[in-house]
Amino acid sequence: MLERVISFDPAAYSLETIQRAAYRYIDKFSIGFNVKEASIDCILQFDKEVDDLDGVIQDFRKEVLDQHLRARIAKETESIRHLILAHAFSRTGLV
Amino acid sequence: MSKFLPPESFAATGAYDLLPFNFTRLEGDSYLATNMVGESLIVDRSTLDDLVNKRLAPSHPSYTDARAKHLIAEKGDKASAELLALKTRTRYQRLQNFTNLHMFVTTLRCDHSCQYCQVSRQSEDKGAFDMTLEMADKSLDMVFRSPSKAVKIEFQGGEPLLNFDLIRYIVSKAKVRAAAEGRDLEIVIATTLSLATTEILEYCRDNHILLSVSLDGPSDLHNKNRPRPGKDSYQRFVANLQAAREIVGYDRVSALMTTTLASLPRVREIVDEYVGLGFEGIFLRALSPYGFAVKTRVYAAYDTEQWLKFYKDGLQYIIELNQAGIPFREYYTTLILQKMFTCADPGFVDLMNPAGIGIAAVVFNYDGSVYASDESRMLAEMKDQTFRLGSVLENTYEEIFLNEKLLSTLEESFTLSAPMCSECAFEPFCGADPVFSHAVYGDVVGRKPASDFCKRNMAIFRHLIQLMREDREVEALFRRWSALC
Repeated sequence: MLERVISFDPAAYSLETIQRAAYRYIDKFSIGFNVKEASIDCILQFDKEVDDLDGVIQDFRKEVLDQHLRARIAKETESIRHLILAHAFSRTGLV
Repeated sequence: MSKFLPPESFAATGAYDLLPFNFTRLEGDSYLATNMVGESLIVDRSTLDDLVNKRLAPSHPSYTDARAKHLIAEKGDKASAELLALKTRTRYQRLQNFTNLHMFVTTLRCDHSCQYCQVSRQSEDKGAFDMTLEMADKSLDMVFRSPSKAVKIEFQGGEPLLNFDLIRYIVSKAKVRAAAEGRDLEIVIATTLSLATTEILEYCRDNHILLSVSLDGPSDLHNKNRPRPGKDSYQRFVANLQAAREIVGYDRVSALMTTTLASLPRVREIVDEYVGLGFEGIFLRALSPYGFAVKTRVYAAYDTEQWLKFYKDGLQYIIELNQAGIPFREYYTTLILQKMFTCADPGFVDLMNPAGIGIAAVVFNYDGSVYASDESRMLAEMKDQTFRLGSVLENTYEEIFLNEKLLSTLEESFTLSAPMCSECAFEPFCGADPVFSHAVYGDVVGRKPASDFCKRNMAIFRHLIQLMREDREVEALFRRWSALC
């Protein structure tokens, strides 16, 4: 079983953001976390032979960045999202 | 003073708020961003960063698009949120109608013995495999409890024509009740046509019944997939198709196919068969992981990658036919395109959120059991009764449709909260298929990264987007498909 450790700066990324990114790769590796003050260490254990291990890790890093951006959008639009849904269903009798 | 504000009043200011949207990487540096109703924008990574961080300048080519697609709203602009709400309401308007499609399994008996068929019996035992009059009456009571103004009854089997007397009985009663309650009633019979007689076809004509027939491809492929005594399934199909069109009406007959391992290398021949027989389109369907298809290992005979190759090759051929002046559509593609280009949901049960089980379609089985979907009853044939909601003989409407398993499944599989789906830019084009997940993975959500449902649909979405980006003519063709009813 191949194992790699990669680290993220907790000042830049939350654990939840990294976990969300990791979920997308559960068909490629399992993951453990070691959360420290200065870093979040991710222990990646690849289930099977992966052709392009470095490519997968690079993709995972990009995904963390994407998740960070998604979290920003979700946080900023939370109230308008609820407002739109409430408005959309206001006359349906469903809510 | 003019009663209109000057044009400058409507110019973009560059000060904006974000509206809810998701994004997903397509390939390389390209990202797809979609709002709550599927309006989309393709941007590169730096534009996406600028957009989210509110650095996108009004002069940027994507700025106007982002406003028009309701990804952002300028400060003080209330119309964008209201329009988005209106479109969201349109997208989910089917929900308030509740169940529309009611499938009646009038018999499990069938004259065919298809390897992949989930539900059929080679039996003369009517008592064991036919729906009774009492079950039919009680099922109809359930149908007319639905608040939907439009009611669709679809007869399935086995071969439903083997119990045609019951079809007559249900149709006559349903018509009376629909007329009395002012409901729109649509009736469909799903049949191989092998047992269609002139009398049956005339009855269908007189009662405005649609026929959904089975055609798997050229003669040898169809007969291989659909064996019956006499080995003449295709020959009977062609003869009876002509009769059905003459008697019931040319546009009252549509066809469905099933993809087996033998079909995979022959998609162009299959499409040619449909074109040759005068059909306007084809539904390139993958086998479902249920019933006999699994038991006889037919489902495992090909994987998602193989099916995708089959689908993409078929779609390419259909595009070429259109470019050569032969109008023809692929129906699964059309359903997705309708979700991509319009706010209306076409109501296809496998691509709905909340999932369509129970609340869009329901099955009244030959033995009185009620199932949440056609796939649910197929699962039951494998001794898995998870999605059996009750029995028309024993349970009330409330007990069946407030069944805890149904409600919890709908909630757990809801794509706006399911892991990965909730943040996927393809979510507005997709749907929840909890029965598939349960059948394959043992839980109604499944592991999305490993899910064949997810893999298949994401690959199709990406493929359609790529085709449209590469060729404006294809985009124009796809837009025409999505605009047709």
